[in-house]
Amino acid sequence: MADAAIARTTAAPGEPSTWERLKVNRNWLGLWFMLPAMAFLVLFLVYPLGKGLWMSFTDARIGREGRFVGLENFEWLIEDRDFVRALIFTIVFTFIASVVKFAIGLYLALLLNNNLPFKAFIRSVVLIPFIVPTVLSAVAFWWIFDTQFSVITWGLVKLGLLDRGSPINWMGDPTMAQGVVIFANIWRGIPFIAITLLAGLQTVSPSLYEAATLDGATKWQNFRYVTYPLLTPIIAVVMTFSVLFTFTDFQLIWAMTRGGPVNATHLMATLSYQRGILGGNLGEGAAIAISMVPFLLAAILFSWFGLQRRKWQQGENND
Amino acid sequence: MTATTSDPKAMPAPSVAKDDHSEGMSYLESLPRKTVTVYIPLIIIMVVLLFPFYWMFITAIKPDQDLLDLHGGNPLWVGEPTFRHFYKLLFESNYPTWLWNTMFVAVCATFLSIVASVLAAYAITRIRFKGAQTVGGLIFLAYLVPPSILFIPLSTIIHVYGLFDTPFALILTYPTILIPFCTWLLMGYFKTIPYELEECALIDGASRWQIMVKIIIPLAIPGLISAFIFAFTLCWNEFIYALTFISSNPNKTVPTAIVSEFVDGDVFRWGSLMAGALVGSLPLVILYAFFVEHYVSAMTGAVKE
Repeated sequence: MADAAIARTTAAPGEPSTWERLKVNRNWLGLWFMLPAMAFLVLFLVYPLGKGLWMSFTDARIGREGRFVGLENFEWLIEDRDFVRALIFTIVFTFIASVVKFAIGLYLALLLNNNLPFKAFIRSVVLIPFIVPTVLSAVAFWWIFDTQFSVITWGLVKLGLLDRGSPINWMGDPTMAQGVVIFANIWRGIPFIAITLLAGLQTVSPSLYEAATLDGATKWQNFRYVTYPLLTPIIAVVMTFSVLFTFTDFQLIWAMTRGGPVNATHLMATLSYQRGILGGNLGEGAAIAISMVPFLLAAILFSWFGLQRRKWQQGENND
Repeated sequence: MTATTSDPKAMPAPSVAKDDHSEGMSYLESLPRKTVTVYIPLIIIMVVLLFPFYWMFITAIKPDQDLLDLHGGNPLWVGEPTFRHFYKLLFESNYPTWLWNTMFVAVCATFLSIVASVLAAYAITRIRFKGAQTVGGLIFLAYLVPPSILFIPLSTIIHVYGLFDTPFALILTYPTILIPFCTWLLMGYFKTIPYELEECALIDGASRWQIMVKIIIPLAIPGLISAFIFAFTLCWNEFIYALTFISSNPNKTVPTAIVSEFVDGDVFRWGSLMAGALVGSLPLVILYAFFVEHYVSAMTGAVKE
């Protein structure tokens, strides 16, 4: 509050002009400083969000303002087999990918938390899949899982697990393609989860483990009753982000399969692009995009309760 | 925001492995046991994580005839490496232009976002105007709005503003992804700078602007670097806006160009495609190699705050 006192002293002598007041008053000053960020966010985030909501209730097409049609777009979508399929696949995709990413990510974080030679180096290398642009690594997966020239198929043949005459149709078979995109998403997501959880792990004091071990805790008990509870808040946040970005994923699918074969790998985002931009039905595309919002809200609430929990765990209002 | 991480500037220290020289209880572990429980799983995971890059590299330097002949020799090795694909990429395609576009867009968008974020973060943490907390919360929410639900309405807005198919379409829209993240990260850094410094300056008659430029920013340089690197990476990586707002070949960025321009049904495209993907990732990898710690602290900081 000393700060407030100082602000008062600066403003005190004489009658400040309006301009002076605008420069000193903290609410006005706050406004000036917030202006650039707010301008960007309002013009290119809040406004489009509102406009997207509006468009989802219209029959807008490219080059034509839409007419208000109420819930018609959504009624159409519910009966649309491709949309329902994309919705189900999006949920399955998010669920499987997030669970596996979390399991392997946590495991990797625990492994990296050991005393290892070249620890910093290993950690940097682990992050590489995360920094390389998704599209570019997706292109690599596209080639790895090429139907005719897949190196995986070659490996399986070499190991004698597969007959050379019957290559696996990785990207041509719907189920197989779904598996492949899920795998690629997991591959890309693991480093982020592992490294953020590792940062969380490193804040856990070793003396807690020592105390627990003295009390006869096994390794599993150490993890279950010491590590895991202390890590819960950060897990909540990391997983919220992970779920959010997995659910709204676009580029991986677009680069690898474009939703094919036979629309099996469409996520809601890719379907929305295909219908809205390529197909020109902006209204319908916007409706598909808006259908994602309830799920996003669920994820955000999940994060919020995760944060709440962190507050009561520490029992303080620590800023 | 937590007790353990309330000091983001100190945060890289505990979160960085190299500072922990203590053995803890690890002496209890014998080497053979550690090999089975730690090294082997770690090596397997690392191999899976890195194999695609190895395969990309090998494909990029393979002569065309070897590319499609998996069973002739060992496909994991190259007998006669060639740089033809790279040559083709750099001298016979628009690749340098795309690279330049990506760089230009990423630098401009990052710069704009950092300026806006520094101002916003300073206002929220230090000026503490009425409703600062709420604004901070709203900015966090903005971080959670994904581009995939905005690109359709944005494309119509871009058309209306007359920005379609220009780099400005991207330079102006990317900050919506970057500002929430950068502001949030910088708020954490600004909070660690003691108030007393600012009070002294106020008493000496400095304006808020002078305080920010001459005191806060120099002290928050590590935070600015983290924000810059992470924002730059996000820009480079961005795909859906670039795909939607840019249509002509010479205006494309690397990610969109790779996906749309190289895929021409030619069976020999793989070499150039992989070379393109490698070259497109290289600037980020180099940047990352120099600033690993900043990168990690940006990533973990954004999550923890």
